[in-house]
Amino acid sequence: MPDFTLWDILRNLALAARWTVALSLVAFLGGALVGLVLLLVRLAGGPWLGRAVGAYVQLFQGTPLLMQLFLLYFGLAALGFDTSAWLAACVALTLYASAYLTEIWRGCVAAIPRGQWEASASLALSFGQQFRHIILPQALRIAVAPTVGFLVQVVKGTALASVIGFVELTKAGGMIANVTYEPMLTYGCVALMYFVLCFPISLCARLLERKLAMRTLA
Amino acid sequence: MPLTKRRLLVALGLGAALLSSAGARAQDALAGIAKAKLVRIGIPTDYPPYGFVGIDLQPMGLDVDVANLIGAKLGAKVELVPVVSANRIPYLQTKKIDLIVSTLGKNEERLKIIDFSAAYAPFYQGVFALKSTSIRSFDDLAGKSVAVTRGAMEDEMLGKVAPASTQIQRFEDQAATTAAFAAGQTQVIATSVSNIGVLTRKNPSLGVEYKLLLRDSPCFVGIAKGEDALLKRVNEIVLAAKADGTLEALSQKWLKRGTGELPL
Repeated sequence: MPDFTLWDILRNLALAARWTVALSLVAFLGGALVGLVLLLVRLAGGPWLGRAVGAYVQLFQGTPLLMQLFLLYFGLAALGFDTSAWLAACVALTLYASAYLTEIWRGCVAAIPRGQWEASASLALSFGQQFRHIILPQALRIAVAPTVGFLVQVVKGTALASVIGFVELTKAGGMIANVTYEPMLTYGCVALMYFVLCFPISLCARLLERKLAMRTLA
Repeated sequence: MPLTKRRLLVALGLGAALLSSAGARAQDALAGIAKAKLVRIGIPTDYPPYGFVGIDLQPMGLDVDVANLIGAKLGAKVELVPVVSANRIPYLQTKKIDLIVSTLGKNEERLKIIDFSAAYAPFYQGVFALKSTSIRSFDDLAGKSVAVTRGAMEDEMLGKVAPASTQIQRFEDQAATTAAFAAGQTQVIATSVSNIGVLTRKNPSLGVEYKLLLRDSPCFVGIAKGEDALLKRVNEIVLAAKADGTLEALSQKWLKRGTGELPL
């Protein structure tokens, strides 16, 4: 039975954290991109497209991420499409994050008084111009806190990718805890690593929020 | 029956299995292995001493040794795929792995969806206690405190056979159960042989011994249904290793006891 020193535990967890970071980045970038497109579709695409986006949001918010990962990896393979673990994780995390982000952002846009849209329309601005120059700057400010709150959730949510074979932070912690029989120490280190990943995101958010607030004042 | 995450996964796995068998993709896994010179084998990485990780997170243990043995005899490079009980059968069903060597027990439900080789290692759940504690039958558990992991196979078995006056103390996981017994909080522990192996190695002076058998469930290699050529080849390898003493040696090395009678 191998004997893990504290250094061995930390070193292995740090290596495994690379997967956590990679999976989180995929979810952030893919989710933000798709989420933004869906938001625009919902705002400007008419009632049917809007309803379709609404159904998409309900579908991915209403089912656990674990099942989405499982079905994309094993379910598609059973139907004859051989997806790699990496592809399945990218698609599942993007779908999941985009559904939440588009809904969060829709709420932020809806929080801007209708009069702002009407006033900008009365200035003969197009939809794109109204959104970009009038609505977006105001919505952005209120979007920061909930968006970051969700991103921090996503970082922790990537642990579910271990079901399709990723040895990321949580999985590596479990493996080590089962050899060392020191779950307190191991999971303590895991929690610390998550904190080290998530805290800077929250810090950035605070700075961003302050910056956006200053710009509005100026 | 509460719908736990694990049950849901198993149900999904069964669903996936049905879909794939409906597709009936006839394909010879043995020929595929010979051609690619690669065999993908699912192994545990969080179940000492069958499969666990070393200092650099590389897998080791009884199952890993057996997987490497099978790979060597097949003349193929082994790709070890870490699996857990919830996803190992879906992995096999969807042909993402060729074999499961992961303390897999045989039961009716599993026999419907996958095939099994001959058994390669013993695995059982039992009742263990200090040498000084006298236990000869389940009746002797009366009035004694027993540590067990909540919801585990041994918890269910114990509930059926222990007398009503047994004080069963349930803990959330194997590590907690073991810690409670090692600390002297309970007189008896009901757990798997693998867990006792770890306990003994961590606390050599404790003097724990085997008392009663709860359930005997040896380990088999899992193979996808319809892969008869591969099944036959794996059976040849397992039986040859049993005949020449390799399995006995592996059992002694990792479990500190012999294989005993292994069913075919």
